[in-house]
Amino acid sequence: MQIFINTYGTYLHVKDEMFEIKIREDKTKPVKINHIAAHKITSFVISKGAALSTDAIALALKHNIDIVIVENNGHPMGRFWHSKLGSTSKIRKKQLEASLNQEGLKWVKNWLSQKLENQADFLQDLKKHRKKLHQELNNAIENILEYRQKIQQKKAENVNDIAESFRGWEGSAGRQYFDALSKCMPNDFTFKGRSFRPAQDEFNAMLNYGYGILYSRTERALMLAGLDPYIGFMHRDDYNSKSLVFDYIESYRIHAERFIFRLFTGKKINKSYFDTFKAGISLNEDGKAFLLDLF
Amino acid sequence: MIIWVLYDIKNDGARNFVSKACLKSGLYRVQYSCFLGTMNANEKDTLELQIEKVINEDTDKVYIFRMNKEQLKECSMLGQAFDDKLVTDEIKSLFF
Repeated sequence: MQIFINTYGTYLHVKDEMFEIKIREDKTKPVKINHIAAHKITSFVISKGAALSTDAIALALKHNIDIVIVENNGHPMGRFWHSKLGSTSKIRKKQLEASLNQEGLKWVKNWLSQKLENQADFLQDLKKHRKKLHQELNNAIENILEYRQKIQQKKAENVNDIAESFRGWEGSAGRQYFDALSKCMPNDFTFKGRSFRPAQDEFNAMLNYGYGILYSRTERALMLAGLDPYIGFMHRDDYNSKSLVFDYIESYRIHAERFIFRLFTGKKINKSYFDTFKAGISLNEDGKAFLLDLF
Repeated sequence: MIIWVLYDIKNDGARNFVSKACLKSGLYRVQYSCFLGTMNANEKDTLELQIEKVINEDTDKVYIFRMNKEQLKECSMLGQAFDDKLVTDEIKSLFF
């Protein structure tokens, strides 16, 4: 079970080898105390204003429980990890090697092709109940698959030489894809392309949070596999950028997209899940709880 | 499997120990001396051994029942009943 801590002033510590979570929602009310056995928990996702005891961290490490500190939009800022990286350094040496040679190129091609294929498949599924949009969806699918072909056929010495054109094709395919998705949305929730920091509409706000959770899970999976999340193949080695996570997540994004799209078309989304402010729209506490419960 | 633990234990120390052992092994307290939750065969054996060590065989009573999900669904729950999704581990995330 995942534990999400969003309430200001929550205290997480250890009592009798169990996690104890203390919350005071209101100064006039008594403190609420919850005990949860350590082995029932898989991760803590903590967003703001919470206190954490070192004993709690130690108990979590002992039981392989992930403690992630996240920003308000769900993107991971940091996590507690053992003082050792998983697995042997041989894996990471090979990873470095691969990032510079043909092997890395092969992986990048696979990831991106898979991503575009997922997008095309999803649009194909959407055609079933949308007779009127057949032509437009078909166009989008065709274009996306064309970009996929371009990516697969491109030859180069290593990833660096072609990263620029890959990014271009990926972006163009993405625009086609999200345009098509928007056309299939209920009228109240159509959107104009991707937007983040801040999101400009409800769909993007929810998608950003969904991706955030996905980033956290992807990063964990990569670290458990003994890989270095900072050494990516295609994404630039920017200062402190988890390039490998960005590379690797591409083919899994579809899970967040399909799921969140269904919530919107299934009329499960309530306007009260969102807060509007000057620059954009964000998912509020109710919205987060709603999304995470099902995701 | 779903496990029920019910007890009547005279000695305060032993009773406290048993209640904590139940909680630590992942059971939820549904009444003062009644615990319920999901565990595997190993966890159940461990708990049984722990309880066996501290109770007094002449005065105390401890029952450990096993149940499956279907049987739990057939139970009648009246009044302030427990959260059946929580005890069957169906809840995947909790918010605080």
